[in-house]
Amino acid sequence: MQTASVLKCELIAFTFAVAKPILRGVTSPDSNSNSPHPLADLRRGEAAVVAGLAEVAGFEDGRGSGAVVLGRLRDLGFVAGAHCEVIAKMWPVGDPMVVRIGGSTFALRRAEAAAVRVMRLVHKPAAHAQLAPRDTSAALA
Amino acid sequence: MDAVVSTPSLRIALIGVPNCGKTALFNRLTGSRQKVANYPGVTVERREGERAALDGRVLRILDLPGTYSLSPTTLDEAITRDVLLGRVADAPAPELVVCVVDAVHLPIGLRLALEVKRLGLPMVLALNRMDVAAKRGVHIDMARLATELGVPVLPTIAVKRGGADALIEAIQPARWEHHRSIAAPVWQDATAEDAEQTQVDLRGLLAAVGYAAPKESHWVARFDAILLHPVYGLLVLIAVMFVMFQAVFSWAEAPMDWIDGGMAWLGEFTAAHLPEGPLSSLLVNGIIGGAGAVLVFLPQILILFLFILALEDSGYLPRAAYLLDRMMGGVGLSGRAFIPLLSSFACAIPGIMAARTIPSWRDRLTTIMIAPLMTCSARLPVYALLIGALIPAKAVGPFNLQGLVMFVLYVAGIVAALVVAWVMKHFAGVRQYSPLMLELPDYQWPHAGNLLLGLWERVKIFLSRVGGIILALMIVLWFLSSYPAPPEGAIGPAIQYSFAGKLGAMLEYLFAPIGFNWQISIALVPGLAAREVAVGALGTVYSMSAAGDDVAGQLEPVIAATWSLATACSLLAWYVFAPQCLSTLAVVKRETNSWRYPLIMAGYLFALAYVASFITYRVVGSLA
Repeated sequence: MQTASVLKCELIAFTFAVAKPILRGVTSPDSNSNSPHPLADLRRGEAAVVAGLAEVAGFEDGRGSGAVVLGRLRDLGFVAGAHCEVIAKMWPVGDPMVVRIGGSTFALRRAEAAAVRVMRLVHKPAAHAQLAPRDTSAALA
Repeated sequence: MDAVVSTPSLRIALIGVPNCGKTALFNRLTGSRQKVANYPGVTVERREGERAALDGRVLRILDLPGTYSLSPTTLDEAITRDVLLGRVADAPAPELVVCVVDAVHLPIGLRLALEVKRLGLPMVLALNRMDVAAKRGVHIDMARLATELGVPVLPTIAVKRGGADALIEAIQPARWEHHRSIAAPVWQDATAEDAEQTQVDLRGLLAAVGYAAPKESHWVARFDAILLHPVYGLLVLIAVMFVMFQAVFSWAEAPMDWIDGGMAWLGEFTAAHLPEGPLSSLLVNGIIGGAGAVLVFLPQILILFLFILALEDSGYLPRAAYLLDRMMGGVGLSGRAFIPLLSSFACAIPGIMAARTIPSWRDRLTTIMIAPLMTCSARLPVYALLIGALIPAKAVGPFNLQGLVMFVLYVAGIVAALVVAWVMKHFAGVRQYSPLMLELPDYQWPHAGNLLLGLWERVKIFLSRVGGIILALMIVLWFLSSYPAPPEGAIGPAIQYSFAGKLGAMLEYLFAPIGFNWQISIALVPGLAAREVAVGALGTVYSMSAAGDDVAGQLEPVIAATWSLATACSLLAWYVFAPQCLSTLAVVKRETNSWRYPLIMAGYLFALAYVASFITYRVVGSLA
């Protein structure tokens, strides 16, 4: 009984996660902005949906610390489909930065945030409804 | 039934992510009936308490270190997992696990709960901070959560009286005794697929119970906009630190005077009612004078800890760590090191112990190694004595010269710490990447009960220190400086003929190049064990017969008359660096589990102290 409901909800969540970026892909002519970005590239106030985690340079030590970092990011909620928002970035390059995800808030270093791939979310529904010209959608994003 | 009666208690473990209110709930359950120790062989704090069950049996409650996951990244987290698995000696696997989950931040806590549940231990889920959750528009279908998870779910409000009643009801031994025979939990390292599966389960659960992320009140957003701002945030941090140190000096004045007066009265009273002789001398000069000289700093230490505990409780400290991460990274420290280093201004010992929360061993070691350079409260009496005696209280612009010198001493320690950290970074070779990934918890008002409990713990530690090491040292020093008695017809002060005097004369050869006379050399010996003892020791050495803290009052004119400015400055410089605290070295030994690091620490600090004193002595000497 448990599995069934879990599966159903998972399906909804999954569809949602996948549909969002696809939807944007349909509405926006700019395909570049729809490929996953590193979370580190988001600006303050920008929201996004996590697409996944990727191994990046910066965790070098030869003892699998990259896997540890990725595992912990996953445990903190950085999983595909999760919504996140950048709350603050330290000068000069946003290292570290503050990200809200799943109702919790975390400070991440730039290297950690670079390992999280995200799809930018456009807040204004208008951007979805009408075929916004490229420069406008960039300004909104 | 008989078998059950013969097992008198139920072992319960509390587990939860950091900041979920687990410790507050633990305090609510056990009150003051708790003891803090270490797990065998490691330095992870083991917090255990008791509570009487309704049927008169005993609930033994263990507060496990907070963790986000059963795949550990720190020693604390590894211990949490190992205790659950029954792998830790002296800590048999719990018979019931209370998984504490912050209702406001349900996803992260529930994810851990899913992992714990997979171990197969009997478990209940305490849904904490239900009041805050309701206020912030988080509604959770608890009945549904209980059915989906297959464990009892109880709402709790840890910080409210009676807020754990439902939980207490649910953890009565009578309910759980039939679960005792359950086989030991089996552990397999979580693979990426396991982690994915947990996330899938979690998402399903969250949707089923109707969880939606909490509404962010807009003043929290405004608060964060300022406190996390690269410029305003740092300004606020500086202001907070300034107020804190200001308070340590100004608020503590009155209670320090009371303790002063009390000890002086006790000394006079003892002297008046005991016949003059060795016993009276030991009691008045050795014990009351020595312990009093140290006890007087209790108010300052408490105020400092009050600030640190309150800042911790309010959720501000991790934000400060965020602000400083970049800057501290420049010298090879993690932002997380901010909290241990801040504690070190009160005392290096809790500071060094707080470094356990730093996941990377190298970052942790660097933090431990520089913690003694933060000016701890034990240095204050020495600074205060010397500055009061030799630095004129004249105004320099809007500041007082004495205050400025004190400030310079604090800054000197910090700068030295940064340089040492930087050097360590460059000698360390390839660095292991150590993640920050620091949770910034919700802001909240510090809870008075938790603050008092935390302060009480500090008082106990401090008093046992005064009662133990320091008291013993004062007695030894009193003996060394009283015997053997001077020969008939001796001209010099009695102490010159004693063991201490001879020791000092020998040490003088070593310390003469940095301007220390034999009196200082003697006082440094007991001062090695605990810095604050040096003031009392100087008093004893200068053959003061004053009781209690009058020692300091009478020392000032003597020092002003007999020491050169260069000598005093040299001693101040010595105190900025010298590793004059055996307890610190002992803690470093315990925390690093080897003699290597305390020896390195003592070596480098002595070298720094000698060089700094030498330079100071020569420079001030040539200027004066």
